[in-house]
Amino acid sequence: MNRRPGSAWLLAAVASVVVMVAAACGGTASPNAPASKGTITVAGFNFPESSILAELYGQALEHGGYTINYKLLLGTREVIAPAIQSGQIDLYPGYAATDLEFYNKGAGEATGDVTATAAKLNSHLSSIGLVALNPSAAVDQNAFAVTKATQAKYNLTTLSDLAPIGNQLVLGAGPECPTRPFCQPGLQNTYGIHFKDFKPLDTDGPLTRAAFKNGTIQVGLVFSSDADLTQLGLVVLQDDKHLENADNVIPILRQKVATDDVKTILNNVDAKLTTTDLVTMNAQVELLHQDADAVAKAYLQQHNYFA
Amino acid sequence: MKILTDALAWFTDAAHWQGSDGIPTRLSEHLQLSAESVVIGALIALPLGVALGHYGRFGNLAINISNVGRAIPSFGILVIAFQVFGLGNLPIILALTALAVPPMVTNSYVALREVDPDIRDAARGMGYRELAQLVQVELPLAVPLIMAGIRTSAVQVVATATLAALIAGGGFGRYIVDGFAQQDYPKTFAGAVLVGLLALATELSLSGVERALVPRGIRMLRATAPWQSATFKTA
Repeated sequence: MNRRPGSAWLLAAVASVVVMVAAACGGTASPNAPASKGTITVAGFNFPESSILAELYGQALEHGGYTINYKLLLGTREVIAPAIQSGQIDLYPGYAATDLEFYNKGAGEATGDVTATAAKLNSHLSSIGLVALNPSAAVDQNAFAVTKATQAKYNLTTLSDLAPIGNQLVLGAGPECPTRPFCQPGLQNTYGIHFKDFKPLDTDGPLTRAAFKNGTIQVGLVFSSDADLTQLGLVVLQDDKHLENADNVIPILRQKVATDDVKTILNNVDAKLTTTDLVTMNAQVELLHQDADAVAKAYLQQHNYFA
Repeated sequence: MKILTDALAWFTDAAHWQGSDGIPTRLSEHLQLSAESVVIGALIALPLGVALGHYGRFGNLAINISNVGRAIPSFGILVIAFQVFGLGNLPIILALTALAVPPMVTNSYVALREVDPDIRDAARGMGYRELAQLVQVELPLAVPLIMAGIRTSAVQVVATATLAALIAGGGFGRYIVDGFAQQDYPKTFAGAVLVGLLALATELSLSGVERALVPRGIRMLRATAPWQSATFKTA
C-alpha cells in the first residue's frame, strides 16, 4: 500500500466525517468486519524504526476493526508532542525514558528501571490528556556490543561478565565517553569494569564499525536496535545492572481513544515485541529497503495477530 | 581570560604528561604523521619540480595540476581514503601527502627556472656535463627557494595533521576533538596551542636546515643584498 503524505493530510482535514466513509478507506481491514469502530491517527518519528512501530500498532488496531490514518516520519518529538496534545494525532510509539525526560523537561527522573520510568511518564502524561500503555521488552538505547568471536572467547552474555576480563579489552565510543555517566564512568562504577584502554571514535558510527572490524576495539558503544548489528556479527551485552535509562518502546496515546479494547490490542503487541525483533525489522527496512508496512504486516502474521 | 589560566593549569597537570593520551605520546604521533607525509611528498614533488625546472618544459602544466591539487580539501581526501582503507594512519598520510606536494613542486620548479641563464652557459662552457651542472651548479643556487617550498609544506602539514583525530587517529588533534566532545575547553585550547607551537618549531628548525644547506657564496650575497634573493613565497 502506498501512503502519500498529501492524502494523509486530506484525510485529517475531513477527520470529523471520516467515520462514515471509514469502511471504504480502510482497505485492508478484515473483510468480515461489519463497520469501523472509529478512526485513529497513528504518527511516527522521522526515522525508520518509528515507522515500523507505528505500522505494528496501526495494523493491529486495523485488524481489530479501527480505521487508521498514518502520519509516518512526521518529525521529531518537538513536532509530535504538540500534535498529540492538540488532537491532530492519537497515538505514537514512544520510548519510555526519552519521553519521560521530554515531558518532565529534562528533570532527570528516568532510570534503568522500566516499570518505574513508565509510571513516572504516566504521572506527567495524565494531566495533559495522554496515557502510556505497557512498555514492551524491546529497547532502543545505548548498549555495549562485542564481536561474536570475543563473546565466544570469554563466554559473555551480560556486562557483569566483563568485570573480571575488562583489563584485557579496549573500549571504543565517542570521545565524550570518558566523562559521561552512562559510558566509561558508569561501566567503572556500576559494573567495576576497568578497560585496558579507551579509543575515542564516534557514537555508533562508521569509525566504531571500522574499529570492530580491524580489531582495534573489542567492546563498543552502539544502539541496541541498530539494523546492522547482526550483519556485522556484533552481540549486545545485557545491561543487567540497568546502567542505561530504560528506553523501552511504549505506545503513547490520547486518553480519549484509550478504550479498554484499544489498550488490549496494543498491550498484546507490546507483550511479544523484543529488541531482537526490532533489529530484524530495522534490518529489513534499512538494509534490504523493504517497506515498513510490509515488514510490520509480515511480523504480525508470523506472530499470529491476524489469526 | 579564564580559559588562559585553565589552559595553563591543564599544562601543569602531571597526568597530562604521561600515558597513551599524554603530551609526549601525542607529540610523537603528530611528528610521525607529519614527517612521513612530508618525506613521501618530497620524494614525489622534488624530483618532479627539479626536472621540470631544469628542462624548462611542461612547467605550467605541472604547476597548474598541483595548484588544482591544493583546492581539494584535505578533509575530503581524508574521508574518502577512510572509506577505502579503513581505520589507521594510511588515510591520514595520504591526505597530508596530497597537501604537501603542491608547494614543493611549484617552488622547486621556480627555483630551477630562476637560475641565471648566464651561469648555466658558463657551467656548460667550462665543460660541466648535464648531471654535474644540475647537481653542482643549479641545485646549490636553488636551495633557498626549494627549502621555502619544503617549509611551507611542512608547516601546513603539521597544522593540518590535527584532522587525523576526526578519523580516530592520534596527534595533538586528539586534544582539540576530545576536548570539544567532553566540553573540556581548556583541553581544546591547549591542543590548539600545542599545534601552533609545533608549527612554529617546524618553521624555525627548517630555517636552520636551510641555512646549513645554502652555500657560503650565496649566503654572503644574501647578507649584502637581501632583496636580490628574497624568499620567493609562492605558497
